[in-house]
Order: sequence, then C-alpha cells, then structure tokens
Amino acid sequence: MKRIAILVALMVASGLAANRALAMLQSRPTTAALVNTTSPQVRLPGTIYVSQEGSIYAISGSSVRRLALPSGGNWTQQRVLADGTLLVIRRFDASSDLYHVSAAGHVLSRLTSNDPSTSNQTIQLDHWILWPSMSPDGTQVFFATDAPKPAPNKSYEVDFSLWSASLGVPFSIGDGGVDGATRWSVPDMYTGGDIEPVPLPNGSLLYSSYANTGKGTVVTVLGLQTSPNSRMHSLTTPQQDCGAPAVASDGVTVAMVCTNSGQTADLEVATLAGTSLGPARVVVANCLCNSPSWSATGNNLLYMNAADTNGNFGLWYIANAGGAHPVAPRRVTDASVDLDATSAAAWSSR
Amino acid sequence: MRSGRQRALRRSLVAAGFLVSILAGVVLYFLPAIQVALRDTGQVNTSLGGTAQLKPVSASEHLSSTSPFTLLLLGSDSDSKFKGDYLTQSMILTRVDPATKHVTMMSIPRDLWVRLCNGSNGKIDQAFLHGGAQCAIQTVQRNLRVHIDYYAWIGLQGLVSVLNQLGGVNVIANNPVMDDYYPADLSGGNPFDYQRILVLPGAQHMSGTLALEYVRARHDDAYGDFARSQRQQQILIALRAKTKHVSLVDIPSLATSLGSDFQTNMSIGQVSGLLPIAGSVPLASITQVVLLPPYTNNVYIGGQASLMPNWSLIRPEVANYFPVVS
Repeated sequence: MKRIAILVALMVASGLAANRALAMLQSRPTTAALVNTTSPQVRLPGTIYVSQEGSIYAISGSSVRRLALPSGGNWTQQRVLADGTLLVIRRFDASSDLYHVSAAGHVLSRLTSNDPSTSNQTIQLDHWILWPSMSPDGTQVFFATDAPKPAPNKSYEVDFSLWSASLGVPFSIGDGGVDGATRWSVPDMYTGGDIEPVPLPNGSLLYSSYANTGKGTVVTVLGLQTSPNSRMHSLTTPQQDCGAPAVASDGVTVAMVCTNSGQTADLEVATLAGTSLGPARVVVANCLCNSPSWSATGNNLLYMNAADTNGNFGLWYIANAGGAHPVAPRRVTDASVDLDATSAAAWSSR
Repeated sequence: MRSGRQRALRRSLVAAGFLVSILAGVVLYFLPAIQVALRDTGQVNTSLGGTAQLKPVSASEHLSSTSPFTLLLLGSDSDSKFKGDYLTQSMILTRVDPATKHVTMMSIPRDLWVRLCNGSNGKIDQAFLHGGAQCAIQTVQRNLRVHIDYYAWIGLQGLVSVLNQLGGVNVIANNPVMDDYYPADLSGGNPFDYQRILVLPGAQHMSGTLALEYVRARHDDAYGDFARSQRQQQILIALRAKTKHVSLVDIPSLATSLGSDFQTNMSIGQVSGLLPIAGSVPLASITQVVLLPPYTNNVYIGGQASLMPNWSLIRPEVANYFPVVS
C-alpha cells in the first residue's frame, strides 16, 4: 500500500515537473536595475549620470550608485552644472517640475511648481517642463514647456515652446506663459512643437523643431535662433528628419539623430558654421539611437541605443566622435540593463 | 510464469500512470491556449453572401504554404463605456506574401463614409458594431472590392497585455505625442474621464500602456486619425520583431493575456504559423499605405466629422496591393 502511494506521488510529481519545465522554456524578457549589475564594462573618467525607471544613477569608474532623490514621480533628463550639482526633471502622470539637486541627490531647490491644482481639477491646465539645459556661462536655464495654452478648454492644442530664465531668479509656468522667463520660440501647431534646447556660447539657441509638412507627415528639423523670437534658421531638411541635438565643448561640433523618415536612425556629427550646418558624417548607421551627449571636455560622445530591435537600451560610447577617426562604439552598461533612452546621459568631469 | 506476467502488467500500469500524469501536466499547461482556440478562433461562418465572400479555408491552408493571403486587422476601444457594443477604431488591411517575405499594410480610416453590410450608410468603424467581424469584413470587401482571407480583432486591454507579455516594443516615436483629452478608461475609474498623456519623441522602449497611448492619442495631432494610423502600423512593425522570440510554449501565457479581447477566424495552428512568417519579413519589405487626401475628403454628415472616399483613387490603389473582386 505504501509503495502504491509513493508511486502515485511520483506520477503526480512527474506531471507537475513536465508542466513547470514547459513554463521555464517561455521567453521572458528580463531587465536588471543598473545598480545591481556588475561593474560597467567600459570605465570612463569622471561621473556619468543616467536615468532608469524613474531613478538617477551615477556611474563613476567601476562603481554605480543611486541618487538619494525624494520618492514619487520619475526623475529624468538630468543635466550637470559646472559646480557638479544637477538640474533634474521630476515627472508625474500629468505634470512635471524642475529641481536643482546636489551630486548626492539632495534637493537644493525646486524651480517650478506645476503640481495639479487641488482647487482646479481641470487637468488641461496642468503643465509640463522638460529638456532643461544650461547656457555655457552658467547663468541661464533653458527649457521646453507646454505653456502658454492657447485656449484651454476650447482647443486640443498642446505644444512645446522654448523659454529661458535666470538661474536663481524665480519663474512660474501658467496658462498664459512663463512669468519671469523669456520666450524664444512659437511652435507649429499640433505637431509637438519645439524641444531639446541647446544654448550656444555665442548666445544662439539650437533645438529640435517639429513641423507640419502639409503632406500628411510631421517631421523635425534642427532649428537655430540667434535671439528670442527671431527667425528660425533650418539647419537640416525635413527629409533628413533630424533631432536630439547635442553640442560638444568646442561649441560647433553637433551630434544629432536623423531617421530620414524611416523606422531606424543614424547618429550623425556635423560642424556648425554661423547659421548653417556643414556636411554630416554618420557615426552609427541603422540604429535605435537616441539622446546623444558629449563629454565635458574633448569630443567623446555618449548615446543611448538598443543593440537590436528587441534589445535593452544601453549607454554607448564613441571616443573621438567629433574627430576624423572616431573609435568604434562600445557599450558602457551591461546588456541586461534597460535605460531611459529619452534621457540623455550627463557627463561630469568630477 | 504467472507471477512474471503480473510483474510485466504492473510495470506497464506504472509506465502508463507516469505517461498519463506527464500528459496531464502538458495539457494543463496548454489549457489556456486550448480554451482560446475553442472560444475565439475559427468561429466565423465563412459564407457571407454578397458580391465578395470570405473564401473557406482549411486549417493547413495558406500559412503552411507559400500562398499570399489577406488579413483584416481590427482594433476596438473595448472598455466598459461601450458595454460590448464596439466600434473598430483601427482597421488595417494586410497582405502577407510568405514566398517573397513582403507585407503591405493599408490603414482604412475609421471615419470613412461607406455603405455598411446592412445596407445603411455610415462610418466604416460602425460595421463591427452592427454585425461583428462578419459585417466589418463584408463592408470592407464590398466597398474596397477586395478579397479577405482572415481577420483578427483585438481589444484595448488585450493589446496592452500582449505587449507587456512580450516585454514591450522598441520604437522610434516620430514626434512628441501629447493629448490633454486622452480617455482615462483603462485605469478603473470613470471611463468617461480624461487624462493627460505625453509620449516623448525618439527611439525608446515602450511598455504596453505607453504603446497604447502612442497609437491611440489623436487630439493634439495635425493629422488626427491619419497620424494615429501611421503610428499603429509602426507598432505592428515593432511587434513583428518580437515574434522572432515567441515559441509554442509562449502561446498559453499569451492566450491568458488576451482573455476575451481577441477573436479571429484563423485556427491556433495558423496563428502560430503566422509568427515565424512575421518575424522573417525584413523592414525594407514592408509597404505602408495611409489613405490621406486626395483619397479622402473631410465632410460633415449629420453633424459627424466624416471622410468621403474618393473611390476612383482608392480602388486602383487597393488593386495595386490586394487581390480584387469584381
């Protein structure tokens, strides 16, 4: 009797084992938190800040640490200031705010207050602030916001325009615009507008501008303005569909991502000359590249890319990307790590 | 002698017991897929009548061969505010040629004003409401004069679940997709509420929810439904890359994810046969068609914003890519 019971138990176990074995064969996509992975494969000098699943991580040599930012919301689009502190966006479901934080992640100041109003429940009146960027002299912060709302409650339009404000001087985003800030651009309606401002040493502003072609498509060009509300010079063509500009420390070497209206992208580098852009050189072709950023000094380039169409987005590095002989791209983060590809890495020399 | 026979019998019984147990484990594993196969696949009556008919197909036809076939992909807002009476906000006519590994996707605008299967005039997205997939197929066949072999319908939650089950998709978002009036119908609250959404531009990994926002948002868009159609095709192309990694053992969990948010007239074998075909199609071999003006013109009919089809342009365009019927 006891033998029969053991046999039956073994039979049931074999059935369960077959069932679980099949379950284990499933293709489960997995990702790892950056801080839990092994040391970065490529050790770069200084500190590189990246965003993953709402947290900011600092990669210094072979060590990775998570910034001690307050919990709640997604922290993204970090930018390093000359003193080593950071500007960071804290994004919630319906709004976002700009913070100034220390290298450790402690909040030094909150620069905007776009919290959804408790007295006014109209979510269309909430605001985004994104893509913060500092002027080379460290005095002005540039950003994109969906203010002003042309006709809240009467129109579906919500597009980004570009603004600048003095760092340390209060500014507030409202339905009519940004009090205490200077407006730079007026977006093409119902396109997403103007984003990714990059202030240049000569006082001009480089950015991505989305435009309606009138032929069923919305494309982006790199735009350049020499002063607020001045005419935008198109540096690239609508067919090239280029965006995500980043300018090296020399002030003229531009990295950008161009899709040529396709489903993949090229990472390209070109030289800015006045209000035009020289011939572009493709440094990575047919990629899922996004968010290029340069080293604080020199012409080494970081960018986000997925190794293949199903792969995780990792941080990649090209030494001498702005030179005549760039080194082949190398992956900085582990392949198991999936980073926020819409948040450019910020590279501090500290 | 007798005890030897008894021993052999006992051994056979034990072996059979193990075999039955293992088989039970396998059957239980595939049970969700079997349930979906019984409930949601191969259920359409293929005799629709009218000028254009669905050709009856056998389970082994088309997908196990190299014959090209036409598939009508249907997507509906299947949340609680519709109470089961669904429109098809997304209709994509797809031609797959396994031999040449070429795919053509033509988005049919939801607001296209057509003669419906029941003889009345209305927007083409209402066909599914009037008579389910059969009416949607019949309406497309009659108006576009095209032959359709198969259809597949998916609801919102099903799409989100499948995308999540597959680990999301990698997509290059064309532009910032913003909508202050995006329906908040999947968050469990009042399905008539709005929420703000923002999908950032550029290459990125999209979860099921983010991908849904990307393909569904339309209010702050210069091209409204047309742009949405282009984004829907983009997500389908990204999904195609995912199918390379899907195997038979993934089917039960996918079936569980879909729940009741999926219908098709393909058999489960045909669905699994489609996956390797989809995965093997190179990006350069995918033709995308969206029927922008002058194929359609904006009109108001009975107070409804609609699109009047220019059949003299649309039908020749359809005939370029799809087998037509007279």
